[in-house]
Amino acid sequence: MARQKKPCPITEAGIRYVDYKDDRLLARFITDYGKILPSRLSGVDARHQRQLSRAIKRARFLALLPYVKGQTG
Amino acid sequence: MAKLKIRRNPTRRYEVVYIFDTALEDAVIAEKLEKIQSLLALGEPAEIEHWGRRELAYKIGRHENGYYIISRFVTDPKTLPEFERALKLEDAVIRHLITLYEHELGAPELSDEEMALRRRSDDDDDDDDEE
Repeated sequence: MARQKKPCPITEAGIRYVDYKDDRLLARFITDYGKILPSRLSGVDARHQRQLSRAIKRARFLALLPYVKGQTG
Repeated sequence: MAKLKIRRNPTRRYEVVYIFDTALEDAVIAEKLEKIQSLLALGEPAEIEHWGRRELAYKIGRHENGYYIISRFVTDPKTLPEFERALKLEDAVIRHLITLYEHELGAPELSDEEMALRRRSDDDDDDDDEE
């Protein structure tokens, strides 16, 4: 049976271009450890996933997001 | 017939994010920013946004906080290598990122029907903007 496709949360939110400075938005698409959430889990469409991935990497470089989260020591 | 687009005007729109050392006074930061921006010799003044002091997501060297400033401007790409070299030498800037800022010129806003169509077809659109 075909699984129902999730609507893309970014398209739904009416976002045309994912901005790397919007760390509150980007934070929704990373895991508890800080990894980029796969689109199969988030339902983000391919175009936005590419934008997201680039934005998250830029945000990490600017210390807006961590590279690794929840580490000890 | 394929139309070849020739750019007569070589300037492009960029966005730079600077992270300044928070140990500096605001006045000193403003002065340094002025100095750095002046290297670009801009036709029209840059659009500057101060985010101010903010905690870094991770330590950069000994720094735990940074003073974020965002600047958008139009310039000839040829000015950038020299600009970036000066930025790297500037101790007050602990990190910077230069990106093309042209996405607002990209694809036009989609209507609701187009959006629905897109959601149905698993399409692969072109990717805009790059470093």
